[in-house]
Amino acid sequence: MTDLLSTLESLPESSLTTRLLGALDYVVPGEWNNIVSLEGMIRDVTGEEDQGLIQQIGERALVLFADPEQGYQRAVQVYQGVDSASTVAGAAALASMASERFEILSFLQDVAPKPDTVQAIDAGAKLAAELVAFTLTNGLPGDSVMDFASALAAYGKEERMRMTAWLAFDALIPLGPDFLEKMLDAIGSVDLSVIEDNRVFRFVSEHLPGDIAQKRDALHANLQNAGNTLRGFADERGMTQEGLVEKVREYIDVADDKLDLLAASLDMSTNVFEHTGVQTVARRIVSRAYGEI
Amino acid sequence: MKTARRLLVALALAVPALVWGCSKDEPRSTRWADASAALASAAASGTPPSASAAPVVSGSTLNKFFPKDGEGGYARVFTQEKDGFVEAKLQKEGKDVATVSISDTNGTPDAKAKFDAAKDKLAGKYPLVTVGKNQSSALVGNRWQLKVSSQTLEAPARSVILTTFDLEGLAK
Repeated sequence: MTDLLSTLESLPESSLTTRLLGALDYVVPGEWNNIVSLEGMIRDVTGEEDQGLIQQIGERALVLFADPEQGYQRAVQVYQGVDSASTVAGAAALASMASERFEILSFLQDVAPKPDTVQAIDAGAKLAAELVAFTLTNGLPGDSVMDFASALAAYGKEERMRMTAWLAFDALIPLGPDFLEKMLDAIGSVDLSVIEDNRVFRFVSEHLPGDIAQKRDALHANLQNAGNTLRGFADERGMTQEGLVEKVREYIDVADDKLDLLAASLDMSTNVFEHTGVQTVARRIVSRAYGEI
Repeated sequence: MKTARRLLVALALAVPALVWGCSKDEPRSTRWADASAALASAAASGTPPSASAAPVVSGSTLNKFFPKDGEGGYARVFTQEKDGFVEAKLQKEGKDVATVSISDTNGTPDAKAKFDAAKDKLAGKYPLVTVGKNQSSALVGNRWQLKVSSQTLEAPARSVILTTFDLEGLAK
């Protein structure tokens, strides 16, 4: 596992992912800034300017990440995993680097709309990954039984942007306003083998308890609770399929009636969970380091 | 037709990637390079660094000493619960106002040094210091480090929040 410094600082300052997240700023104004340096994160979290203090916070943060027992490395792996699982090889490079034209064209021959069932399982698995990564990063905060839905309600900054992007790119654009019913229905009724073979699910699966049927139940229950909270958020912020597509069209051109293709293109060419997930983990570590030194 | 459509998507995707994609930076923080390299070589030699110098309490044992939800008009939301460290945020009208935490300095003994020079006392007996410009910290029972951090509250207001921890309970 690489260290916190290079994990955070190798995130691009600008990529298709960051541009698309920027396009969602209208939903969560000012919530997300693309912080890709440790010093920048320390300044943002603490507001401190003293160089000695910043140095000290950074050194403690590096130690916290480097200790595998603390769970931060695994949290980053989960965020990276769900994205790479849903991204066709080479597509991430397309989004962050100038590739040779030949490679770009060969990659895009693979763009095909996902069936709704696959889309639903992918989205459900990503939301389960968020729960897993949250727990690895923060433990189970508070005395009550872990209630991820209320933790989601308190989300800010990168976390909030990631959930906004999930609503936009994994839920509303591909599945429309009744995305939650479609997801719950698909995950609840599909053959267990289909879930088991799903590439995104396979990555989260090892972190969920029980056999495959219980894992499906966990996926379903999490989607029901967290999904309801998120849909409430989408309604409150006026997120609609039409409005989102209009924004995204500034970056990706696609015909009106081909939203499934647009969603598939977004999925294959962006790494929202990885990018903002690394930022979330860095933010939590820095906050803890500031509390501990 | 299908191929043509894919090509359209291809070009639309490719253009922004080409225009904005070439911004891979040089490493930005050389200031931590030495610390980072030392940790990497420790991990490579098979002994990954430990964040804790000695055993610490489990986080859940610290929750009960935090300011109560609603105390001082703040909603309290626990945000992290790790071994030896628990953190919550205090909110007013849905906005974050301060971050409060308790840490077990058994894991981070160096953190206690700053209290040696403390001129102020919290509740008349616990050493109290200001860290940087946005943080106030007290040491209770020579072990438990309490902190209140805020980018909007000044030191006196932060100290008031420190008094709302269960200081006596922690000191026992």
